[in-house]
Amino acid sequence: MSSLGTRFEAISIEGLSHRFLSRNKPPTTALADVSVRFPSGKVTSIVGPSGCGKSTLLLIMRGLVKATDGQVRFLYGNGSGDVTVGDAPRMATVWQAFNLLPWRTVMDNVAFGLELSGMPTAERRAKAADAIRAVELSGFENHYPGQLSGGMKQRVGLARGLVMSPDVLFLDEPFGALDAQTRLYLQEQLSTLVESSGKTVVLVTHSIEEAIFLGDHVIVMTARPGRVAATLDVPLPRPRTLDMQKEPAFGDLFTEIYGLLREEVRKSMLN
Amino acid sequence: MTEANQVILPAAETPKSPPTDERLRNDTWWYGPVAIIAFLVFWEVAVRSGNVPEIFLPRPSIVVVTLYDLFAYKHLLDDLGLTLFRIFSGFLLAAVVGVGLGLFMGTSRRFNAIADTFVAALYPVPKIALLPLLVIWFGTGNAFMIALSALGGLFPVLINTVVGVRQCDEGLILAARDLGASAAQVQRKIVLPAAVPTIFGGLRLALGISIIMVVAGEMQTARYGLGAKLEQAGQVLETGQVFAILLLLAIVGVILTKAQDRLGNFVDRWRAK
Repeated sequence: MSSLGTRFEAISIEGLSHRFLSRNKPPTTALADVSVRFPSGKVTSIVGPSGCGKSTLLLIMRGLVKATDGQVRFLYGNGSGDVTVGDAPRMATVWQAFNLLPWRTVMDNVAFGLELSGMPTAERRAKAADAIRAVELSGFENHYPGQLSGGMKQRVGLARGLVMSPDVLFLDEPFGALDAQTRLYLQEQLSTLVESSGKTVVLVTHSIEEAIFLGDHVIVMTARPGRVAATLDVPLPRPRTLDMQKEPAFGDLFTEIYGLLREEVRKSMLN
Repeated sequence: MTEANQVILPAAETPKSPPTDERLRNDTWWYGPVAIIAFLVFWEVAVRSGNVPEIFLPRPSIVVVTLYDLFAYKHLLDDLGLTLFRIFSGFLLAAVVGVGLGLFMGTSRRFNAIADTFVAALYPVPKIALLPLLVIWFGTGNAFMIALSALGGLFPVLINTVVGVRQCDEGLILAARDLGASAAQVQRKIVLPAAVPTIFGGLRLALGISIIMVVAGEMQTARYGLGAKLEQAGQVLETGQVFAILLLLAIVGVILTKAQDRLGNFVDRWRAK
């Protein structure tokens, strides 16, 4: 938590490596010496071929997996340029597989995090209802996840994260399991939401368009073992609109990223 | 016809509305009862017209009258109560111990390593083969019957609980930890509820086995209880009474099964229909 007078500045990854141990195979190196910075208030997209360790990187930042080597630091500043290392800010994750609890209603899924922290029922329900409204799911509070479409499930997932009022929102292939139209619509919704909230967002995706459309920066990763191939800025103004995809800047960046990824994708398929 | 006037709402807009569609209506509910009645009528008529001696195969009408007489003059209600008490005491014991041990085995690698071999050794032993040992330890009273019932029910509950806990979706645990769940909260709010349908399946099996064990035990050793009365009636060739008690056991079975179905539907209410 940031103390008085200091402000969350960035997540800094320093020399991070991770190996998976396996009983009957030699250990796999998922990440090799990754150093990168995620500035606060910005959307940083991570793209890379499948199996490059981008989801593992997210789990490590989130504190759900312990890295073999290296560090995740949370940096705070006081406005005068001094930076100190502090505790983790409030964080929440939205998952590709939604990971909603199937035996809980939409309301109880969204309120789950608040329930874990011991918030009284009436209070957490009120907050959850606000979050449900924010993702346009009012009227579905008493539905079970099994009764919802994929797009609706992911909006529940988003509400469940947002209700925790996180400083940092992690999105792990959030629209990967959705059809193309739903995906576009949710990308737009998410973009609006992120722009109005000023949250720090880390977006893991395999879609270059999505990485550019939503991101302020794009980190391109190599095939396994995952390294940072490049960190690129997205030269598009906010608020983002869909027709920006037709702008030359968008196309140029797409070409540049694909150029970096092309060989990596080929390598990842040979692995 | 009226069918033309029916408004069928698109499913997407009414995901949880009650089933109003003609095709969803349960129109087979009467098949079972009618089949049973047809079977009983056939039995009655066949025995009457074939002059089968009552000592071999009494008519259904005689069985029903005998059952009434047993309740009215032979205190069969006491035997029924006693048998149910033995079944459910043992079943409850099996449920508590089985779920408790199963949760522990499913979540602790160390404890599982210890307990797994014991379970593998004891599970395939026919529990009825433990009868002589249990008599030596507990005598032939209620303690013995409850132990028999509990032993029969324990393993289905235990094994299903372990399976249910193990197959918990790793993603749900990650999501809960992401939202700040402690290890204990993960167990209580994710692992246990995720295992409930599987545990419930184990409980269903366990109750069936508990019934078998108690009735078999009563037939061997007891003076009171449905199994004991069944055995005694058989020894003096009271075939009508034998059938009456079997009928009662069948009725108990139907009631318990239907009750379990209801409870199962409640437990599984979140599954998309």
